[in-house]
Amino acid sequence: MGKITTEVSKQRETGIGYAGRIFGQIQNVIDETGGQSGALIRVLQQAQGLIGYLPPPVLKTISRDLKIPLSEVYGVVSFYHFFTMVPKGKFIIQVCLGTSCYVKGGRKVLATLKKDLGLEPGGITPDGKFSLETVRCLGCCGLSPVIAVGEDVYRKVKAGDLKDILSSYK
Amino acid sequence: MKPLSSLDELLNLRDQIQKRLAERDKKIQVKVHLGTCGISSGANKILEAFLREVEARKLSDVLVLKAACIGLCGREPVVTVIPYVGDKTVYFDLTEDKVPRIVEEHLIGGKPVAEWAIDLDSPLFQLQEIRVMRNQDINPMNIEEYIARDGYLALAKVLTKMTPDNVIEEIKKAQLRGRGGAGFPTATKWSFVRSSAGDEKYVVCNGDEGDPGAYMNRAVLEGNPHSVIEGMAIGAYAIGNVRQGYAYIRAEYPLAIETLSHAIAQAREYGLLGKNILGTNFEFSIDIFPGAGAFVCGEETALLMSIEGKRGSPRPRPPFPANKGLFGKPTTLNNVETWSDVPSIILKGADWFASVGSEKSKGTKTLCLVGKVNNTGLVEVPLGTPLGQIVFDLGGGIPNDKKFKAVQIGGPSGGVIPTEHLNTPVDYEAVTALGAIMGSGGLVVMDEDSCMVDVARFFLQFSTDESCGKCVPCRAGIPKMLEILDKISQGRGTMDDLKVLEELAKMIISTSLCGLGQTSPNPVLTTLRHFRDEYEAHIIDRRCAAAVCQALFRAPCQHTCPVELDIPGYVSLIKEGRFEESYRLIRQRNPFPSICGRVCNHPCETKCRRGQLDEPVSIRHLKRFAADYVYEKGLEYLPPIAEKKEERIAIVGAGPAGLSAANDLTRHGYQVTVFEALPVAGGMMAVGIPEYRLPRDILNREIDVIRKMGVDIRLNTPVDDVDALLKDRYRAVFIAAGAHKGDNMGIAGEDIEGVYDAIDFLRKINLGKEVKVGKKVAVIGGGNSAIDAARVALRKGAKEVHIFYRREQKDMPAIGEEIKAAKEEGIHIHSLAVPVRILNGNGKVSGIECTRMELKEFDRSGRRTPYPIKGSEYTVNVDMIIEGIGQRPDTSFIKNGSVKVGRGGTIVADRRTLATDHNGIFAGGDVVNGPQTVIEAIAAGQRAAYSIKNYIEGKAFSPILERHDWENIPVSTIPPAEQETQPRARVKASEIPIAKRKTSFDEVTLPYSEKEAMEEASRCLRCDLEAGEG
Repeated sequence: MGKITTEVSKQRETGIGYAGRIFGQIQNVIDETGGQSGALIRVLQQAQGLIGYLPPPVLKTISRDLKIPLSEVYGVVSFYHFFTMVPKGKFIIQVCLGTSCYVKGGRKVLATLKKDLGLEPGGITPDGKFSLETVRCLGCCGLSPVIAVGEDVYRKVKAGDLKDILSSYK
Repeated sequence: MKPLSSLDELLNLRDQIQKRLAERDKKIQVKVHLGTCGISSGANKILEAFLREVEARKLSDVLVLKAACIGLCGREPVVTVIPYVGDKTVYFDLTEDKVPRIVEEHLIGGKPVAEWAIDLDSPLFQLQEIRVMRNQDINPMNIEEYIARDGYLALAKVLTKMTPDNVIEEIKKAQLRGRGGAGFPTATKWSFVRSSAGDEKYVVCNGDEGDPGAYMNRAVLEGNPHSVIEGMAIGAYAIGNVRQGYAYIRAEYPLAIETLSHAIAQAREYGLLGKNILGTNFEFSIDIFPGAGAFVCGEETALLMSIEGKRGSPRPRPPFPANKGLFGKPTTLNNVETWSDVPSIILKGADWFASVGSEKSKGTKTLCLVGKVNNTGLVEVPLGTPLGQIVFDLGGGIPNDKKFKAVQIGGPSGGVIPTEHLNTPVDYEAVTALGAIMGSGGLVVMDEDSCMVDVARFFLQFSTDESCGKCVPCRAGIPKMLEILDKISQGRGTMDDLKVLEELAKMIISTSLCGLGQTSPNPVLTTLRHFRDEYEAHIIDRRCAAAVCQALFRAPCQHTCPVELDIPGYVSLIKEGRFEESYRLIRQRNPFPSICGRVCNHPCETKCRRGQLDEPVSIRHLKRFAADYVYEKGLEYLPPIAEKKEERIAIVGAGPAGLSAANDLTRHGYQVTVFEALPVAGGMMAVGIPEYRLPRDILNREIDVIRKMGVDIRLNTPVDDVDALLKDRYRAVFIAAGAHKGDNMGIAGEDIEGVYDAIDFLRKINLGKEVKVGKKVAVIGGGNSAIDAARVALRKGAKEVHIFYRREQKDMPAIGEEIKAAKEEGIHIHSLAVPVRILNGNGKVSGIECTRMELKEFDRSGRRTPYPIKGSEYTVNVDMIIEGIGQRPDTSFIKNGSVKVGRGGTIVADRRTLATDHNGIFAGGDVVNGPQTVIEAIAAGQRAAYSIKNYIEGKAFSPILERHDWENIPVSTIPPAEQETQPRARVKASEIPIAKRKTSFDEVTLPYSEKEAMEEASRCLRCDLEAGEG
């Protein structure tokens, strides 16, 4: 409730709604980096950082302002694993399935998460709190198996630890 | 900070900083290592704890500093304490609660807390050569600490004293090869770019370290970022016309991006990047380009496309990036580590760099040692270090006493290196010769619990996901290979599939557009090359030895058991208190439950998944419990026997293989006669295994059941003409004569009175014959026969028993529990000792002369080869020697080549059908395979019976043994309750007191009570109830 009230009062103050503000920020990003060659990927990264995903209206704006055909923009978005056109959860759970984590039980960790959250990789919980993904190596192989939740990295994860880990995210 | 505008200013600054740091460091330094792994392990909390303590106790002579990761990944959080005078201490596995004690005892009291400190004399440290990782112990966020260590002096030297061609010449002399994987000579690459036409060129750093299992680039970016910046600047100068560099770093490395970014900003501030660097007219800047999660962008042309803002699709070469690269301009792309090596080559010289390494691979390489290895982490070794040394000396070997299987090197483009090649030097040439590639140097160690088919499948899944999709061979070919591997791992493969895999691989390698496609079949090809029999086992036997491919089995314990005993079933029945039914379930597949419940080497327990939680379920002891219960209550029964058939079968040898075959054949209705040369039945169970492990009445009870089924066991009846049996009245013959002949050592003095062979000795004792046992007995060997002989000698009156084994104790092939029991009974085990001469004292043994051994290179079994140490001979006084170094079959009864006899006197028989080259004669067990275990012999007997039945009925043979369970015993399908899956130790089996053990042949291990058995059985996780893949 609190967040909505803040948004409403902000709109009353500035005359610009939430969407408008986001587009404003994206515009700034484009203005700053738009002149550089190869700016597209960086703009997309920053835009996704602002909203959490890349819905079609944002892609259209970027395409128009960077003067890159929408099909090419879409081609880039769909190529890189990091970009998503569907919203992700508030906390993204990444289960590492790199070789070392795989060999040391990563699959069991994934299976437990799938069961507990009722999700397949790529899915998002109905309340929008968690989405589940697999990644191919977070580079912490010395501490396999590894998962990341948001920006936190957990090491030597056992299936039994997962309940506690997840419950600490509100 | 005013930008530095000359070499002199830099040198002055360095001197000033060094002076300042020297003053600062006149304190006790506490360096907290803060790499990504450290932070995720709580290193920040450790840092705060130290700061708190130091502040609270007002320790003005202690300095708490931040440092980067030093590669002890498996032991994070790590803290190094460096006193002003004296040696440093490295603490590992730290927790906040340990900090106060370190502060108290070490920082204040001056005495390190030894139990929390790592042994810096261990091979892990002594075998490393730290060059690239040289700055991991300083703060990467402070450029001054880098400058204090001669940072940027190489750049200054290059700008003021060397021409670009000089620089390339030096790099060439050093023979620096690209550290990203291909190992292409760096100087050559730079020369190409230098000589390309154009006045706008680029240098790029490839930080898209995508290989799962490799993270050394991340460690360098997080810990030694300035070395990369300096290297790139030097490269830019050497190539000429380079004003802009890019560092492409994976988005999955946020700390690396942040650290490098900060380092670039500081370098700029100090005038070491930007315009007019150090007052010269050289200008150079670096921009960071974060990746977006595409493995293929580690490929050169794909990476450049990505920087240009496009899809990361590789493009054909020529034109090479050296001519047309980023934005169409000449570009050099080098790996993070390659760049990091450059400044030290310039500063310390090419000769210094090339002073380590092998002939064609100079210098050091950082390697990520991960997977099933004790010391996981980052190590840096000279190129050419043998793989075995890295895994076993640096890595500390395989955890949990598991067996090494292979090292996967080079990520998805690489391959596996198996046990036979542990002596391979890790350098570019040797690794390529084995079909793998060095890659970025990620070494994933795999043990017996890894399935090679599954590993190949894993990598193909990865490559399928990461293929950019541009070219057909990769886009369509790799998923096709994956499809075939899926088939094989689900038990639907055919031998033809292996041919197709190899053809597809060849095609994909030769026609793919880029390195990803060209190398993605490598994991399949190397696993096929080195582990072909594993593929064949999946296809023909539908067996996954590592118990990984879930579609092939119900539970790993059952799958590993040679007779496929329904272990979860019988354990669950015990848990429910249905002991008799448990026995009946076991009896369907194992004719000797009481015996196996005492002497089996339990391969099932090594695969028990409970073992990953706490300890494996006591499967063997539970089996004994169920069997003993039934026999005590007189509930044993005879299995149903089919209608009598007219065919007669002859079996040579009443050991476990022979009797097991007799059991099965009789059940099918055949008339079986077993010929046994000895006066007792049971083979090694009767004349090899001592009574304190297997009481005679237990043994005979179970053999009697076989007799009661109608098997005619003829004792004292050796067979000397197998052909005659066939000609006589027997339709088929199964030779299961075992391996009862002890090997000789072949040293002087073996004929002296008092020297025995272990097999003979054990047989005589078991048959009740008199054997004079000495007072001080030497037993030679490390297998079960040697341990048995030693423990028997002790019980027969020896005052001292000494076992001499030529390798280390951990390599002894005997069952672990036996070795432990022997030591508990006071038997001495001398490792790395081999007898060379037996000494004669008045016609009897008086002593033994031994030499000490040292271990050198690895042999094909993955154990180090022992060599005698010259001049290390020593004498031990003994009055009896028992040689238990090996045994082989005595097939002298095979006459006139009636069946083929091969190496070591073993009979040659097909592995699956057990057929020999003589129609109607089958052979199995120790007589074919050399000494193995009771359960393997029982399984061989079952296979022989199956083959013989098919032979008689004229049916085709199938490698999948059809088992005829005659009773359907319902087993609970309720999975274990939550609290049953909480960690708790095994219920220990009690043993009789040691004093009593040494003087009697009473059974040492005591049975479980009913309560104990049910409690232990409740630890079973019921893996058979888990549907689908884990």
